[in-house]
Amino acid sequence: MSDAWLWLAGTALAPAVVIIAALFAVDVERLRRLAVIAAASMLLATFVIAATPDFRRIAWTVSSLSWGGSEAIIRVDTLSAAFLPFAAGLWLLTVAVTPRASLDRGGVLRTALATLITLASFLTESAVVLLLLSVASVWTFMAALQDSAHGYQRRIAGIYLGGSTLLFAIGVVLMAGPAAPRTGTAGLWCIVIAALIRKGIVPFHAWVPEVFDHGRLGPAILFSAPQLGAYMTVVLIVPRASPEALRLIAILALGTAVYGAALALVQTSARRACGYLFMSQSALVMAGLDGRSESALAGGLLVWLSAGLAFAGLARCVLVLEARRGRLDLRTFHGGYERMPLLAITFLGMGLACTGFPGTLGFVGQELLVDGAVDEFPVMGFAIVVASALTGLAVLRMYFSLFCGRASPPAAPGLRFGLTRRETWTFVALVIALVGFGLAPRPLVDSRFAAAAEILRFREGSVGR
Amino acid sequence: MPGVPLTVLVLVGAGSPAMLLLVLGTASLLNRPLPERWTASLAGGAMLISFAALSLAFVVYGATATDTQLLSYGAWSTSHERGVAIEFLVDRLSLAFAALSAAIAGVVSAFSNRYLHREPGYNRYFVLLAMFVTGILLVALAGNIQVLFVGWEFVGLSSALLVAFFHERPAAVANAFRVLSVYRISDAAMLSAAVLLRNVAGTDSLSLLFGRTAGSAGSVLSGTDATMISVLLIVAVAGKSALLPFSGWLPRAMEGPTPSSAVYYGSLSIHAGCFLLLRSAPLLEQSLAARVLAGALGAATALFAGLTTRVQSDVKSSLAYASLTQVGIIVVEIALGWYGIAFIHLAGHACFRLLQFLSAPNVLHDLHGIEDAIGDRPSSRGGIFERVTSARVRRRLFLFALERGFVDSVLDRLVVEPFTGMARRLTRLDAWLCEVVLPHRRPMTVAVDDRDE
Repeated sequence: MSDAWLWLAGTALAPAVVIIAALFAVDVERLRRLAVIAAASMLLATFVIAATPDFRRIAWTVSSLSWGGSEAIIRVDTLSAAFLPFAAGLWLLTVAVTPRASLDRGGVLRTALATLITLASFLTESAVVLLLLSVASVWTFMAALQDSAHGYQRRIAGIYLGGSTLLFAIGVVLMAGPAAPRTGTAGLWCIVIAALIRKGIVPFHAWVPEVFDHGRLGPAILFSAPQLGAYMTVVLIVPRASPEALRLIAILALGTAVYGAALALVQTSARRACGYLFMSQSALVMAGLDGRSESALAGGLLVWLSAGLAFAGLARCVLVLEARRGRLDLRTFHGGYERMPLLAITFLGMGLACTGFPGTLGFVGQELLVDGAVDEFPVMGFAIVVASALTGLAVLRMYFSLFCGRASPPAAPGLRFGLTRRETWTFVALVIALVGFGLAPRPLVDSRFAAAAEILRFREGSVGR
Repeated sequence: MPGVPLTVLVLVGAGSPAMLLLVLGTASLLNRPLPERWTASLAGGAMLISFAALSLAFVVYGATATDTQLLSYGAWSTSHERGVAIEFLVDRLSLAFAALSAAIAGVVSAFSNRYLHREPGYNRYFVLLAMFVTGILLVALAGNIQVLFVGWEFVGLSSALLVAFFHERPAAVANAFRVLSVYRISDAAMLSAAVLLRNVAGTDSLSLLFGRTAGSAGSVLSGTDATMISVLLIVAVAGKSALLPFSGWLPRAMEGPTPSSAVYYGSLSIHAGCFLLLRSAPLLEQSLAARVLAGALGAATALFAGLTTRVQSDVKSSLAYASLTQVGIIVVEIALGWYGIAFIHLAGHACFRLLQFLSAPNVLHDLHGIEDAIGDRPSSRGGIFERVTSARVRRRLFLFALERGFVDSVLDRLVVEPFTGMARRLTRLDAWLCEVVLPHRRPMTVAVDDRDE
């Protein structure tokens, strides 16, 4: 058992080392190399934790920080084990492919801090600790928007996300306070709304397209892709909410999935399209998590991983392209497939994984989601079908616009448009992971079913349904 | 020979193009595309193995079995009961169509090797061709809805990407997106049919829909359920096979290379919908309304395409509409219950039209030769159509056909414009929601900041 704690400590040490180095280092490229090595090490360590059954039973509980006296401050179980490599993978993706001109010392520090917060969030069940980490993650994100160019987006994010965090705090107090039996329902609804805001669910979604389009895309991706709002849902809401509440959340989520996909299809800005795509995908996750069937819940957990990674990769592709071409207008054909065939192929691969194309990890998750949604709400289940069709169109439209057509000649003769080796390996590895797990999904899918069964068992015990 | 298990033969037949896709796709992903000779050899070999295995399977099945057989290769996605299983449903129809598909794919593969020699997208073409062949074989042999859907998606995506093959041409890319839009409607209808089947029948096994056994559709699905599932399947078929009102995408799809046009819109992809209808015959027999709908769509499409093909100015579009005419007639045959005739018509037409498409460039060359020899265009005498219709009627029909039935403009007016208009209004609403929460001064000056972390 002590081995597990050692591995866990090592996992947390990786971003901590980078944070400390960033406080003192001067050379950004060396710092980035350190961050890449640390992220890769963290990925390896988290895979070991996820793959070792004995490591998935550790827990540390402090009763004063628990609602019911049983939530662990730190724990690794079937649910959280798969999220640890997910968090590490997002960090590696960020530090490996962010263009050199876009990443400074503060950026490296913020990405490591955000990863540490995400890792800690996935390790806890305690509402109090989750609240504190939520404050920290919002603060880290807002710190990325400190410059004068993004003042409006910072204020918008502050209002929405600050409001979300405040509601979360009120909910925790109401649910854990002395008047808990009477105020528990109100407290739970505060937490529900907090999660809906964080996830960008209609009608609390307006911050998402604004921040993605006019804010900083990189921090927006790193803040959104882990979907901590979904984690709040599965840990705090699903075990306690009534079936009617879960149904309402699921209906809002399914509506958002269609809404986001439809709007992504007509955007002129690639960044804004990414924002709406994120909304749609995260809403699908929410719909699955609020289902009461094992397959819907397992599907939601699986789509969480596949869509999270695929969306992050897709949006990072947009950033890589912007570094070479400037802002991307989807009304024109930018060309350049012949210059960057690998980026085009990986963009298409990640986009298809987002849409649940067969052969990718997203397909299995969406199949389970559809299966579970139809069991719950036969009519609303078709919303997933519509959202999937529209998402596919939106992704292919982006692909056609960004890579097809005749490329304009380079401004300077020696200008290189191709991917760097670091970018190449990272994108290819991500696509191989998405397709590899898509072709051989059984271990991951079985683990999600096991996690879903645990959640439902806990729910039956606490709610009695 | 009869001792060779059917399961092995079918697996080899369906798996061979899938392995080709894996090899070529991996090479492309690692940015190490194989040399042309290797690609051509692998593709030819894979198609040959597939054809041989499926033909042998057809012979073995004919010698040893009479009923539809469900071949199961185990659960794929999970050991849990709710998961995707790899299952193939084999009978004479599925094996015959699968073997035909493999043969046609082999011919096209050999043709493409020469046609696309030294073309920059050579490897990309063969990756997409492998995806298509994998997809069409899965459609032919699918034993459950998930496998059918996988094949359906493979066929659709590869088709759209091949329409955009010459991707430096904006027109080709724009047309590819249009084709994809119709395909997504078809995919959504297919998936909805799958969802409904699972919901009402509690299973996604296609032996329920396609099998002519005691446990098939008649005993499980009610008339209303059968009608709803049939209608959704017909919508899926209409999208894939370019039946009305979805015929507008067909001429746009001619942007791709000639071999891909031949295999998709001459022979296999456009007939995939007809094949699916043939397979769904037991389900269609449950619903008169669905049969009437299918027959009406087929007849209208045949009339429309028969008119439109006469006014096309390029040979590929003319051939495409000629294909569509026959597809419409095949659908009518299926709706009337003439399944044997429909399949023979399908198989013969697929081969004939493939030949026409592949030899289309030569036909133009030959026609030029004839014109040079006689010094004038070959004369055309009026046929029956010109004798029974007045000039005024012919003029109106000509304009109708020239505009391709106004199908595109009607769809744009009724579907595309309302959808995009509403989506743009909602986008402005989202921006307004931010303004309501926090107004900001306009115009907004944005300082350029390159940092993104």
